[in-house]
Amino acid sequence: MADENIQKPLQFEGHRHLTTRLLLATLTGRPIRISKIRPSSTRPGLTPYETNFIRLLDSITNGAQIQFSMTGTTLVYRPGLITGSAEGLGAMGGVVRHEIPKECSRRGVSWWLIPLALLAPFSKGAVNVVLHGEGCITAATTAGDVSVDTVRTAILPLYKNFGIERNIELRVLKRSCAPSQGRGAGGEVQLVFGHQVRLPKTLHLMNKGRVKRIRGVAYAVGVSGSNNQRMIETARGVLNKFVPDTYIFSDVSSASLIPTYSKTEPNSKTKGAVGFGLSLVAESSTNCLYSADVASPPQGGTTPEDIGKQCAYQLLEKISHGGCVEVTAADTILMLMAMGTEDVGRVCLGREVLGSESVVQLGRDVRVFTGVAWGFRGKGGDDEEDEIVVSVVGRGVGNVGRKIG
Amino acid sequence: MPATLGKRKRVTREELASPSSGSQESGGEDLRALFRRAFEAKFKPVDIEPVKKKSRQVEVEEEDEEEDSDWSGISSEDADGVEVVEHAGTRWDNNDKASKAETRAFMSAKPPTLSASATPKPAAKPADDAIEISHLKNDVELQSLLRESTLLSTHAPTYSTRTSAAPTRSKLTDAHLQSLGAKSSIFAQKKMPMSHRKGIEAKGMLREGKRRAEAKENGIVLEREKKERKVVGKRERGIGGPNVGRFKGGTLTLSRKDVASITRDGGGGGRGRGKGKRGKR
Repeated sequence: MADENIQKPLQFEGHRHLTTRLLLATLTGRPIRISKIRPSSTRPGLTPYETNFIRLLDSITNGAQIQFSMTGTTLVYRPGLITGSAEGLGAMGGVVRHEIPKECSRRGVSWWLIPLALLAPFSKGAVNVVLHGEGCITAATTAGDVSVDTVRTAILPLYKNFGIERNIELRVLKRSCAPSQGRGAGGEVQLVFGHQVRLPKTLHLMNKGRVKRIRGVAYAVGVSGSNNQRMIETARGVLNKFVPDTYIFSDVSSASLIPTYSKTEPNSKTKGAVGFGLSLVAESSTNCLYSADVASPPQGGTTPEDIGKQCAYQLLEKISHGGCVEVTAADTILMLMAMGTEDVGRVCLGREVLGSESVVQLGRDVRVFTGVAWGFRGKGGDDEEDEIVVSVVGRGVGNVGRKIG
Repeated sequence: MPATLGKRKRVTREELASPSSGSQESGGEDLRALFRRAFEAKFKPVDIEPVKKKSRQVEVEEEDEEEDSDWSGISSEDADGVEVVEHAGTRWDNNDKASKAETRAFMSAKPPTLSASATPKPAAKPADDAIEISHLKNDVELQSLLRESTLLSTHAPTYSTRTSAAPTRSKLTDAHLQSLGAKSSIFAQKKMPMSHRKGIEAKGMLREGKRRAEAKENGIVLEREKKERKVVGKRERGIGGPNVGRFKGGTLTLSRKDVASITRDGGGGGRGRGKGKRGKR
């Protein structure tokens, strides 16, 4: 029926950067075809968490077409309109409940949340999604995903720079840590994103300022709250020397109970994964944010002191990389800039941040999707710091759903 | 004594007894030698005889050992067996709790607003300022005087009536009470025949309406009219009536409110949903 203006899909290869490619496809409205997804692996094709993300994408958009090949090594995605949590399209009472099953427990829930938050400002209606299930890990994971607290305190505030600030909430309904093999996590997170815009504002972020305060959240799930105190004490021992305005909040919660659904005992429940972790956020005088995140590994065996110290050092390292945006938030910032007004936005990035694999690939992918490349130049200040100014031209299309409706 | 980092050894009695222990002495000797060598490298060597140490402390130690030899319970190695191992370098007292506002700003579901919690602390007021206190007192006096001035002018010519004449005094009290926030005047009559009450209310309404009409004609903007809402309490129901809804003509009619109350309670929506509702407001 829509054959008259069918677009040829953009071709990609490999399983890497799947979420950013799917995001760019959805935001720009271009169909994509990704082939050679783990062709030589013993488990070829998409992993459970990747398919689960595609499911989530499907539930907040309308009219998307997804095709897998038989082996799952090829994916064709034709994006639909981002409708958000519109009634009648999978939402119950204005809330989309998305389950993350046990097989997906290799990634933290931030792997779903950060792309979802990126789609939300361009949605037609408000986005209200509850992520739950046995694979929902709210803590940081060893795979490199940050914790929910970092998403809330270090990534969501950045949307304010683009004029997106109202009605954004990220509630942690149940906390959970990374589970050991074959066990469930059982976390629950709700993202409410009620501020939709036509176009994000153009960003000019050139001055990183100086770090003026450090905040953080120490969380203990199903273990003693004294772990929090120990983490906090060590982290403060490291950080207080640099920034006196350091405060780390403590959050103690019990492990979530997961129903087993066994036939013999229908009401039996098992405990979700336990552990502890620390999330730190440093804020500079010009409102740039740097974050660090460390959690206890699922097999245990690390002291809270180690976690606290590691996290504090990680934060110092992130700050030492320089630039106005750190590496976990770089994708968000750059993508929002690329989707912004048809104007040149500038952001100052540290050399290490810009040189990271995800940012480089994002730059290439943005060029493929929008046809506009980024510009780089050295900052050229009097200080001898390795900072590069990235100029990004916005696409100027923005929110299609808002324009029509 | 070997240098042990991070461990605090217990100070033994011998060390305490001797004013300058051997290890410190040797350390001092080393330092002095170092300084001397550095000095000699630059300038001419200086001939200074090293100061002889008194050999008394050796004797003391020997005596101690003799005394200890009688008791062969625990060896001296075990005396400092308790080792304090501190993982954290420095201690920060966690007594300084974050303020409630800051906790709310950072730990709520909302992303923390950038640099919002820098709340200015209320400046401490110089409370013991005598002039300020007297000013405040005079102010209160003046206020009450102004309030009472209408009564004075109409009822009694002099200020002395403030304490003497009974009706004026109670009027003053009434004015004071009303200024403090009393709900009704103490002169408001509680009981009276219905017709009187109706008449008074009607007259009041008439007066108010007249005042408003006049004001409107003259183009004066008056205060907004207070609309009194009728408070509808729960109606007493007869025996055998339905718990919920209205039963009329053989049919049970449920209002939207009733339906909502039933479904909300009976569904057992769970924690997550309840929270979601709360946040939506």
